[in-house]
Parts: sequence; structure tokens; C-alpha cells
Amino acid sequence: MDAAGIFATNYRRDQALVRTRWQWLCLGLFILGLVCLPLLLGSRIIAIATVMLIYAIVVVGLQINTGYAGQINLGQAAFMGVGAYTAAILAAKAGAPFWLAIPLGGVSSAAFGFIFGLSAARIKGFYLALSTIAAQFIFHFAILNLPQSWLGGSNGVAVPRPEIFGAKFTDDSAMYYLSLIVAAVMICGAYGIIRSRHGRAFVAVRDDDVASGMMGINIARTKAVAFLLGAFYAGIGGALWAYYVRFIAVDQFTLIMSIWFIAMIIVGGMGSITGALVGVFVIKAVQELITNIGPALVQNYPFLSGDIVFAAMNVFLGSVIAAFLIFEPRGLMHRWNILKRSYRLWPFPY
Amino acid sequence: MARTIRSRITATLAAAFMVPIVALASGQARAETVYNIASLADFTGPYADIMKDQTGARRAVVDWWNTEVGKDLGVRLGIHEYDHRYDAAQVASLWPGIKSELNPIAALGVGGPDVAALQERLPDDKIPMIMPTAGYGYAWKPEPWIFNPRATYAHEAAAFYDWYKKEKGIEGPVKIVLLTSEASPAYVDIHHGMEKYAAENPDKVKLVEAVYAEVQPSDLTAQFHRVLRNDVDAIQIQTNTAAVVAAKRALQALSRSDVVLVTSSHNGLSVSGRAAGGIGVFEGDYEVYGQAIPTEEPTDARKFYESLGKDHGLKAGWNIATVMGLNQTLVAVRAIESAAQEVGPEKISGAAVREALLSDPVTSQETFGVLPTLRYSREAPFPVEGLSVNIGTVKNGAYSITAEDVPVPQVNKW
Repeated sequence: MDAAGIFATNYRRDQALVRTRWQWLCLGLFILGLVCLPLLLGSRIIAIATVMLIYAIVVVGLQINTGYAGQINLGQAAFMGVGAYTAAILAAKAGAPFWLAIPLGGVSSAAFGFIFGLSAARIKGFYLALSTIAAQFIFHFAILNLPQSWLGGSNGVAVPRPEIFGAKFTDDSAMYYLSLIVAAVMICGAYGIIRSRHGRAFVAVRDDDVASGMMGINIARTKAVAFLLGAFYAGIGGALWAYYVRFIAVDQFTLIMSIWFIAMIIVGGMGSITGALVGVFVIKAVQELITNIGPALVQNYPFLSGDIVFAAMNVFLGSVIAAFLIFEPRGLMHRWNILKRSYRLWPFPY
Repeated sequence: MARTIRSRITATLAAAFMVPIVALASGQARAETVYNIASLADFTGPYADIMKDQTGARRAVVDWWNTEVGKDLGVRLGIHEYDHRYDAAQVASLWPGIKSELNPIAALGVGGPDVAALQERLPDDKIPMIMPTAGYGYAWKPEPWIFNPRATYAHEAAAFYDWYKKEKGIEGPVKIVLLTSEASPAYVDIHHGMEKYAAENPDKVKLVEAVYAEVQPSDLTAQFHRVLRNDVDAIQIQTNTAAVVAAKRALQALSRSDVVLVTSSHNGLSVSGRAAGGIGVFEGDYEVYGQAIPTEEPTDARKFYESLGKDHGLKAGWNIATVMGLNQTLVAVRAIESAAQEVGPEKISGAAVREALLSDPVTSQETFGVLPTLRYSREAPFPVEGLSVNIGTVKNGAYSITAEDVPVPQVNKW
């Protein structure tokens, strides 16, 4: 719903994501803020922001797959791992530059995801959830059991610093800007995908796959493409992760991580790209808050027992997720949309 | 003339009186250069239950060092804790802030996530990290910035088998079964290490089979029934307490009291005993590791621990977590001490601390017997020569030390 006085006078304008000058101004300021972040804030915030950007790419992929296409996926961390390992092996063993290794990480992960997409054509619900958990274990066991000279096995893989024209990314700000650029491209792409015929097919299949099939949508293909795209995003995020940490091992891509990704889209709001971004921000911010506040509380107030404080931190983190599931299962974006609509209708709440 | 003499005497007396006052005042005002240690911890992750003891031990050692050693050197150490939830992603987002805000000259790590997230960063940041655990084959690389006070789990187990073979008069190799899991690359690494050692020392150890099980196994009777048909002497478990308890229950179910369990520190007899309902269950089994064993015996390490409790506010119990906190912090402060002596108290840096670790041994006396003498080299993140381990057991229901300073044999890189 647009604000009063805003009318779409042509199709192009009706399709626009940013519809008012005020929205353009806010978006411009937001982008400016992101670009200037390393100049304004310390290394700690830059590092948190870099991890948020990497997670944002992975979670936007999950949003396409689960939020839009309705295909439950508990193996997103494994898809991320495939991208990370591909980029790491290409960079470490073949000397591939980062601008080649990162997209190839995405491509290999997409191929892995496509296999599970094919299984999604036949199964759904709990059965699909289990098959994506299988992706997690297949990834884990394949890395550990294939010959060590191929994928590093239990030794993991060290990744060289990314460099361009001989200049190495030596500080955290450089990695932040790389992640920001890649995230911006991927998020713009996601907005494009969901408004394309593929995106509309995803939503149709999610809402009623029988009806959408009768309307001429190729359901098997749509589901497979949803997995392919979701895994591609995860692979790109994984490749960036490999360059950021510069050492990858199989235990960095766990089932619990996949569950956190699901939590992020629940908190942000299913079926919304912006919701995925909000979810990443909120969950990561709460995690950071907890890891900072716990030791600070114990240090400044020694009468508070560490056991109680740290247990409370974990309870709080779990409670945030539970509270969303109980009180706002459609996520923060739904709440935001209600607020926005109320504001636009005010003083006529009907 | 008389006036001149009197004024000279007065001046001399005044000088004689002032010199000690000035000297005393300058001594009191001697500035202590303050440096920081980053204490990485897992307060909200899987090791939250032991972290209070480990970090308590770290703080007490730093307090002791500031009082007893740092004061004379003109160096004061601060220690700041950072919770990383045992998560590599959290370490990765935490570390740049630690580096810029705290500017530490050393870091104290917890386990795998620290190593994974920081091993490629620390050489650039020029900050050494001291771990409390045994080392791993996958981290066995030259020019280390991460240091383990203990060699790998394979080294420690190999030392045990040498001792056990002599102790029991076993002819031929000690036949072992390794119980492990694919849940963590570290557990797979232990298998690779033992496999290599057994292959190169067929007269000492025969690895009958590596049994891969769940990370928290509930029942191992079927697997053990099969592998124990061979003439097995020992079952080696260096994963976790759940595996030790499940292994013991399986041996009891199969009535095999002739096969001993060999555990490490983090899953040793005392901690596994708590999980199994009493340490007496592990009568005749062993734990082996290259640090002090926290029994009730009045060892030097125990006396040092008690002095920390008395004078430096250590409230942690005398247990493995505390010993791990002591071991890594003692190595760190002794390296800082050496660095201060070499480059001066005002010029200590992370690089200087690392150089001190690589050039000066940390003797067993300097760590009050918590560790054997450590001689680091540029070849590996842990000393590869001159190490020894201690062996603990349960004898007549009591947790006790059965052998000390057992030499660690040569184990080649895998």
C-alpha cells in the first residue's frame, strides 16, 4: 500500500521497489552509512558487519528457497560449506583469483543443491526436511573421508588472502568492502528474481503446488530451481567466508548453523528479502550482545554468579526465537508493515 | 670559616638524609608498564560448565605473577575475558575488536574454533596464542603463532603404551582399539596419528581397529563384542566422557575386565567418574596427559594451586579445567617474563613474546610442576622433543598418580 498521494501512472512505476523521494533519500543515506562504516566505527563493528553481510547472502538464498518457494531446507550450512571448500581449493591449489573463485563456489554449491531440488520434486514437508539434513551429513562425511589430498580431510584448508592487481586485502575494511559489494549485487539479484516469472512461480508453488501445476507451472523444475538458487547464494556466502577466515574446516558448517539461518528468516519474516536482512541483523546483534554482556556483568557485578548470568544469556537467546514463534510468527517485517499501514491510514484506521 | 664548615656539614647531612628518601620515592614511583592478555572463553557454549574454573585459574596466575614477578620487572598484566560460545564465526567477529581495543601481547585460547578462526590471522597480527590442550596433526606446521603446552594426543598415548608394555611385561606390541567419532575433524586426526605411529612402530603398538561411533554413544556392546574377539589389551578414548562411560558399560556387559581404558585429560577418570556415578567404576583404567594430574597427592602443582587460593583469590576446585587454566597462563606469563628480560619491560610486544617462547625453555620448576619442561621450536606448535607425560589411575577406589615424567617417544608427522 502506498502513502496518500502516491499513484503509479505507468507499469514501470508500479513495479518500482523504491517509490518515493523519501524512500530514495533513506536508501541513499543507508548505503552511504554502509560505505562510510569503516571510517566511522572501530574494527569490532566492522568485523561484526562483515559476518552479517556474509550471513545475509546465505540467508537471502534460504529466503528464496524456503520463504518464497516453500521448500524447507535444513542444509543451508552444508551448501555454504560446499561453496567455501570450492573457493578455498581453487584459491589454494589452483591459484584462482577471488573474483573467479567466489562465483565458482556459488556454481558448485548450486549443483549440489540442485540434486536435493530434484528430490524435492517428489517429497515435501518433514520428508524434505530430513533429506536436506542428509545434505548436511553427506557434506561432512565426504570431506572427512575423501582422500586428504583432495579436500583437506580433517586438516582443513588454508586460504590465501584475496588480492587484486597484486594488492592484497590486508585489513578488515578491505574484506568488509568486498563483502558489501558482493552482498549488494546478490541482494539486488534476489529482488529481481522474486519479481520475475520464476519468483511468481515460487510463490504459486509454495501456496498450492497442485493448483499451480494445473495452471501450467512446471512444479518439479520450479522446486529444483529454488534449491539451485538458494544453494548458489549459500555457495557465494561460503566462498566469502573462506576468504574472510582464511581457514576452513568441516566443523564450521554445522546443522546448528543451518538452524540459526532458519531462525533468522523466522525472526525477520518469511517471504521477504528485507525480512531476511532484518533477521540476520537482529539474531547476530543479539548473539553479539550476549557474548559481550555476560562477561561484563560478571566482571562488574561479582555478586552475580557467572553460572546464573551465562545460563540466563542462553535462555534469553532461546527466548527471543520462542517469543517470535509465539507472538509474531510472521516476523518483524509483518509487524513493520502493520505499523507502516497504520501510519499511512492515520487518523482513519480502516 | 667555621660558618663554611658548618654549612658543609649541614649540606652533607641533608644530602645523606635526602638520598634514601629520593631513592625510595623513585622506587615507589617506578612506573609499571601495563600490557594486556586476551582471555578467550566459552561461557555460553558447550564448555560453559568448566569455563569458570579455567578462567578463574587464568586470573589467579596473572594476579600471582603481577605480585611476585611483574612488580620487580616493572610490568603489570591485565587480563580480559571474551566469550566466543565455542563458535568460529563468533571468534572471527570478536578478534578484530580485541586486537584494536585491547592490543594484547598474548591470547589464551580454548580449543578448535580459536585455532580455526585465528591461525591464519595471528602471524599478521603478531600476537601469539597459548592453548591449554594437546596439539593436533592438522595444526602441526612450522613457524607457529599458536602454541600448545602438550604434544598431540597420539604422542601422549604412545608414551602410555611404552610405559604399559614395560610395566605389564607385554611381549610384542600392545594391541589397542581406538574408539573415535567423525563428529569432529579433531577426533579423526587422533586416529590418523595413532595409525601412523602403529605403522611405524609395529613392535610397540598394534592398532587392531578404529571403531567409529556416535559422538555421544549410548551402547557399544555390539561393536566391542566384535573387536574384542581379537586379543586386545587396551581401548583408547580421547573424545569425550560419554564415550568413556559407554565403553565401560560395554566392557562390563561383556565381562571383560582384562581390557583397560586409556583416556585423556578432558575425558579423564575423574570427570568420566562423575558421569558414571563414581570413580570406582574405572578401577584399573588409566588417563594420560602432559600436565599435572589433579589428585589429592601433595605435589608441587597442588601446593601452587593452594597458594593461589590462599593469596590470590582462586576459588576454582582442583580439577582438570583448573589445571588447564594454570598450564596455559603459566606458559604465557613465563614467556612475557623472558621477553621483558630480553627486550626490556617497556618494549614487550606479541612478536617478542613469541620469540621468547621459541628461544627460551619454560622449565618445569617455572610452572611448579604443572607442566614438564617445554622447549618450543620453529618446527611445530608444541615441543617435539624432551616431553613427558603423567599417568593417573584408580587404585582401590582412589584416584591416584601411577607414573610421573614418562618420556614421550618420537612420533612422526602424519
